[in-house]
Amino acid sequence: MKLDLRAARIKLLMAFVLLCLPVYASPISEDSAVSVLYAGSLAAVMENGVGPAFTKAKHIGYQGEAQGSLGAAQMIRDHVRTPDVFISADPTVNVKVLMGAQNGNLVKWFSTVAYSQLVLAYNPRSKHAAKFQEAQAGKTKWYEVLQIPGVRFGRGDPSIDPKGYRTLFLFRLASRYYHHPEIAGLIGDAMNPAQVFPEIVLMARVESGQFDAGIFYKHEVTAHKLPYVSLPGEINQGDARFAKLYAEESYTTPSGQTINGAPILFTVTIPETARHRETALSFVRFLLSSDALLKEFGFSTAEHRIGGDASLVPVELHDLVAGGYSP
Amino acid sequence: MTGRIKFTFLLFTLLGSILLGDLVLPILNLLIHPDWHGWMVAVRQPGAIEALKISLQASFIAVLLMMFLGVPLSYALARADLPLKRLWISLVFLPMVVPDLAGGILLLQTFGPNGTVGQPLDSRNIGLTNNLAGIVLAQIFVAAPFVIVSAIAAFTSVDPKLELAAATLGDSRWQIFRRVSLPLAWPGIAAGLTLAWIRALGEFGSTLIMAYNPHTLPVYMWVKFESDGLTGALPAAFFLVVLAALAVGVSMLFNRMTGYADIVSGKVIGAGR
Repeated sequence: MKLDLRAARIKLLMAFVLLCLPVYASPISEDSAVSVLYAGSLAAVMENGVGPAFTKAKHIGYQGEAQGSLGAAQMIRDHVRTPDVFISADPTVNVKVLMGAQNGNLVKWFSTVAYSQLVLAYNPRSKHAAKFQEAQAGKTKWYEVLQIPGVRFGRGDPSIDPKGYRTLFLFRLASRYYHHPEIAGLIGDAMNPAQVFPEIVLMARVESGQFDAGIFYKHEVTAHKLPYVSLPGEINQGDARFAKLYAEESYTTPSGQTINGAPILFTVTIPETARHRETALSFVRFLLSSDALLKEFGFSTAEHRIGGDASLVPVELHDLVAGGYSP
Repeated sequence: MTGRIKFTFLLFTLLGSILLGDLVLPILNLLIHPDWHGWMVAVRQPGAIEALKISLQASFIAVLLMMFLGVPLSYALARADLPLKRLWISLVFLPMVVPDLAGGILLLQTFGPNGTVGQPLDSRNIGLTNNLAGIVLAQIFVAAPFVIVSAIAAFTSVDPKLELAAATLGDSRWQIFRRVSLPLAWPGIAAGLTLAWIRALGEFGSTLIMAYNPHTLPVYMWVKFESDGLTGALPAAFFLVVLAALAVGVSMLFNRMTGYADIVSGKVIGAGR
């Protein structure tokens, strides 16, 4: 009798597991949610800010995924991800990876969203924290702090991360701005293994105090509540007035693509492979009306200009965008 | 009665094949649309060869260390009357189930340039991250449990009567270990070492954090995936699968030899199989 009961239980369990299989496979809970694939540095802004605010305002679920901008775009091109919305940390990623016949015309238009800028963030418990504080107060030059022997700082990987090559531009621009050629020498080789890390690893190194400082976007540092040294507009790449100056710098990736300096500008688009166009539109509308929220997270507002084919921008967005974007 | 048994096997096979769909299909799928030419070109790139070299070097060092440090530990855990033995064993198991990324962060806080162990070494100019040492530390963290688990099992399966017989003949503990326990347990240990080796070779999460540079093969694959998409990552994925298949083959060979060890120890005969 006891044995029978146990056998029945096992049968019940098996039946349950089998019944669950098709349930897991069908996208019940995701059906109405908007899926957003976004540049890795936006993780905190999206997951703690924009995502929840969107759900609260529109009563539509939100599912975000952080990936490197370039990596994310490749995923869309390779059809391994089909997000409803794609947010990139660099307009050129849209142009080079997703737009045009050679990329299957997966993206036909994009809108600029907001500017960010590079800052020098440091660990408040670093031995040299006081020096960085002086730099922020303007009593010391930031690059002089980096020149102190024993100060360890990191930066993004230029081969996989726009922030990586923007940091290279930063140091070259700084060399010219301060008339100190040795500033560019502070970073050594573009791929200097002592400094170059993927986004999340670099943040972990600075936050855990293994590194004294690192070059980050202002919005990342704001979200992670790290103290930072602001840098002049001529070098921080967050000021459209200096676009011409930024454009004088360029970097060629290991795979042979040349990228020119430009203001740090985030863009949003709805890829052609999107599964929920209605919710996607609703989300993009929400994002383009969220300037105050974005400012709170360390961004600077930008005019919403359209890259690509402006005639294909959905009519629902027309009142939120203005003019064309050209790099 | 037989019909009943057959039905049971049929049902079990059916259930198992659902699982196999997840286990085997992705690998078969990789081989259904192979781009041999493209993969060969990609694999001959200097970066890929360098990454393979680093991976082989680091995993070889890791395996040697796991063998010379892990086997004695396992013998002690299997045979010695240690206080809190169960606690030690579960502590050794723990890294096997800790997520890679978490493991990497814990390792970094310990061995990083400002870490508990790393800082005093760093002031003497010895770095434990972002070099071969960092890779080996990450690999051992995730792979050593495989060695220890199989070595404990292998040592435990050695018939204590044989060790006792050696002792009555006047052998010391060391002689018993060297002449009786180790030879009988060796195939099981070797199978564990092979699995540990491939686990070390494929380690990604904690390596990424401990040593982004120099790139190991899995880190290189991730970088390629980030910079060139699927076409960049697939060649490395293919060769990691090939290496893994080799390791599984070798490990199974050793496991068959374990059967031989059982026969020698008299267990199989005693069981009357």
